[in-house]
Amino acid sequence: MRKYIGLLIVILTLNVSVSRADDATKLFYTLRSKILTVKDYTADVNMKIDVSFMRIPKLRGTLYFKSPNKMRLERHGGLSMLPKKNINLTISNLIPAGAVTVIDLGNVMVKGKKLRLVKVIPEDDNNNIVLTKVWIDEANLLAVRAETTTRNDGTVIMDLEFGNYITYALPDKVTIYMDVKDYKLPKGVTMDYNNETPTVAVKDKTAKAQKGTIEISYLKYAINTGLTDAAFN
Amino acid sequence: MQAQINVLLEPIIETRGLSKSFKNFHAVSDLSFTINHGDIYGFLGQNGAGKSTTMRMLLGLIFPDSGSIFINGQEFNNSQRHLLSKIGAIIERPDMYGYLSGWDNLKMFATLSDSSIKADRLHEVLEIVGLKGREKDKVKAYSQGMKQRLGIAIALVHKPDLLILDEPTNGLDPQGIAEMRSLILSLSRDHGKTILISSHLLYEIEQIATSMIIIHKGKKVVEGKVNELLNPDETYVEVDINPDSTIGAKIAGSQWQAYLSSVQPATLVFKMNPHHTPELNRWLVANGIDVIEIKSKHSLETYFLSLTDDTVITNRAI
Amino acid sequence: MIQLLRIELYKIFKRPRTYISFGIVTAITFVIQLAMLTDGKGFVNFALSGVNEQFDIQGNILNGYLITYIILQSLLIHIPLLVALVAGDSLAGEANLGTLRLLLTKPISRAKIVLMKFLSSFIYTVILIVWLAVVALFFSLLLFGKGDMINLKSDAFVMILQSDVMWRYGLAFAFAVLAMTTIASMSLLLSAYADNSIGPIIATMGIVVVLTILSNLELPLFTVIKPYLFTTHMIGWKGFFDDPVPYAAIGRSAIVLVLYTVGFLTATILYFNKKDIKS
Repeated sequence: MRKYIGLLIVILTLNVSVSRADDATKLFYTLRSKILTVKDYTADVNMKIDVSFMRIPKLRGTLYFKSPNKMRLERHGGLSMLPKKNINLTISNLIPAGAVTVIDLGNVMVKGKKLRLVKVIPEDDNNNIVLTKVWIDEANLLAVRAETTTRNDGTVIMDLEFGNYITYALPDKVTIYMDVKDYKLPKGVTMDYNNETPTVAVKDKTAKAQKGTIEISYLKYAINTGLTDAAFN
Repeated sequence: MQAQINVLLEPIIETRGLSKSFKNFHAVSDLSFTINHGDIYGFLGQNGAGKSTTMRMLLGLIFPDSGSIFINGQEFNNSQRHLLSKIGAIIERPDMYGYLSGWDNLKMFATLSDSSIKADRLHEVLEIVGLKGREKDKVKAYSQGMKQRLGIAIALVHKPDLLILDEPTNGLDPQGIAEMRSLILSLSRDHGKTILISSHLLYEIEQIATSMIIIHKGKKVVEGKVNELLNPDETYVEVDINPDSTIGAKIAGSQWQAYLSSVQPATLVFKMNPHHTPELNRWLVANGIDVIEIKSKHSLETYFLSLTDDTVITNRAI
Repeated sequence: MIQLLRIELYKIFKRPRTYISFGIVTAITFVIQLAMLTDGKGFVNFALSGVNEQFDIQGNILNGYLITYIILQSLLIHIPLLVALVAGDSLAGEANLGTLRLLLTKPISRAKIVLMKFLSSFIYTVILIVWLAVVALFFSLLLFGKGDMINLKSDAFVMILQSDVMWRYGLAFAFAVLAMTTIASMSLLLSAYADNSIGPIIATMGIVVVLTILSNLELPLFTVIKPYLFTTHMIGWKGFFDDPVPYAAIGRSAIVLVLYTVGFLTATILYFNKKDIKS
């Protein structure tokens, strides 16, 4: 009898875990669909780039986005700076497209809030994304954090804060942590003025060396206005 | 008034024991002289005798190693530069700003001497030096003579009591030299200037100076009034004759014996006033001596010329 | 004093040679602008290659502000020569011309003459730098337009918003005037020692070149002496294009430059007061 009871427990446990996995997969796909309902947007943003070797003031501008991966920052005559290659500043770009395997990592508490942590692995081996961990606010169906390991661009972490545009799963504020390669020009070329004050680069060589942060505050969105590709040229 | 009289009683320039060396070269040694108001003071010496160095010391351009300079009785040193407002000078060449006009050069230096000088005065000095009408030309287009005149205009413009002119006839053609001479004389006579003029030519000094000094290798050789230093009785009269072995005996008994300085069969040298030359000539002819040539040369000139041979000179009386 | 200064300025600005400097500044500025018009994109891509790998920078990078910075960076090596043309000539040139002895027989102290020569060289320097500012900034903005300015340091990429640039240029040009005034005072000192102007002009350039090399050599031996070389501090104007602006360091550099200037000027007066004028 004890044998059967043991077997039952095993079967039940397996069942639970399978059903939990199914649940997590479903959760992820639902979340992804919600995110993908935003085909494009135009948003007034404030952008703060904090990279060890870069000293850039807060940039005000208009951010144009078109699914899946077109993005442009318009700065009304000023310079626009965006991270290059496959990483852009939108969550849709940090979660893998196509068929994925979702592994449920259970609930975690972040800042006093219960979140569901799932690990998402794309089934397509050629995808730039190797692995994404997503922290999901189940109640509001929102991704509040994503940690994506890419093939070519290191690991990117994105924190999202929501407010006015919660229904579109569009954040009011996004903070992106990314790997940045070091930068150096020969002093003979630049003929630096050696001001003897430690530069940001020196200061940052301790803890989060070579980590860059980009902080974007979205002030106002215009969503799904049917942006054409021409807006990105 | 009394102060003015006192100034006039003082020598305008007095130097005491001026010495200056450049490394191991003694340019001026223990030089003392006095220039009085109204003098045209000739400063005579070979090139390199120390004339320019002395003049530069008088103007504060070169600092003496020892000795002192008094201008109107006041000791002159670099902190007393206001004394320079009493002096106008040309040192060596009259160098100007060639890219500026004569007028601009004159106006500029006039302002530096005395900022209250008006255009009228500039016209006046241009008139005096004879540059009127050419003042708007660039100085680089001026001839040497015109530059000298402009130099004098600059030296004159602030109405100085004393003009220091260092070889003002250098580089001038004979006509220019004559004009410069009459200009200097007129400045003394008509404008009451005291003038210190240097030259390496005695006859130049002789023609205009009232007093003079001869310096050699930085040392004073002689100083005095020109009419005293150039006393006609001190003239050497040299007579070339057909050789005559009895000439000595012939002269011995005559009145000319007293003037005879040297005698050789073909040359007689007398030291006398050249005024007596015709009389001497008649006597020689009357005594059967064939006179070929008679030349007269002042003893000072003979002496001065001997300096150029760089012979050792003692302080003998002239 | 004012009369003497006016006369010194009159002499400087009546001389055709003075305007050669303005011509050279204009010519070099135009040459750099022309080069940037044709090859600027390549230059910027090369300079930005470290950043471009990771960031996509769009917009008018090659704008008037950046071009002006490039012009300043290249020209401030040559401007000492142009300053020396006037300051190095101020005493030695007059000695060579023969006018110095006439000038010094006027009832004005030598210290005053040196001070006025210095002041007139300073005014010339100010005018030259203002001219540079006008030609470089005005024409660069005209040709290349406005935009945010990027400044590439060896270890940092600095971006300055276009609305935040002009005051920096104002201060940078003011600092450049200070740096060039130091050069002028050194040139004047060399000028007091010489009897023709070629010597001080060449000597000024020689000193600037040698000390600039020492200032830029990354060797331990030179690291010790670097803070004491005025050439190290001459590029303090670049500090105004950093973020945050290192005011303390710029202030220190300014003090060093002022001390050098006062030192050179004092040495000139002391030496010139005792100099025998034999020219």
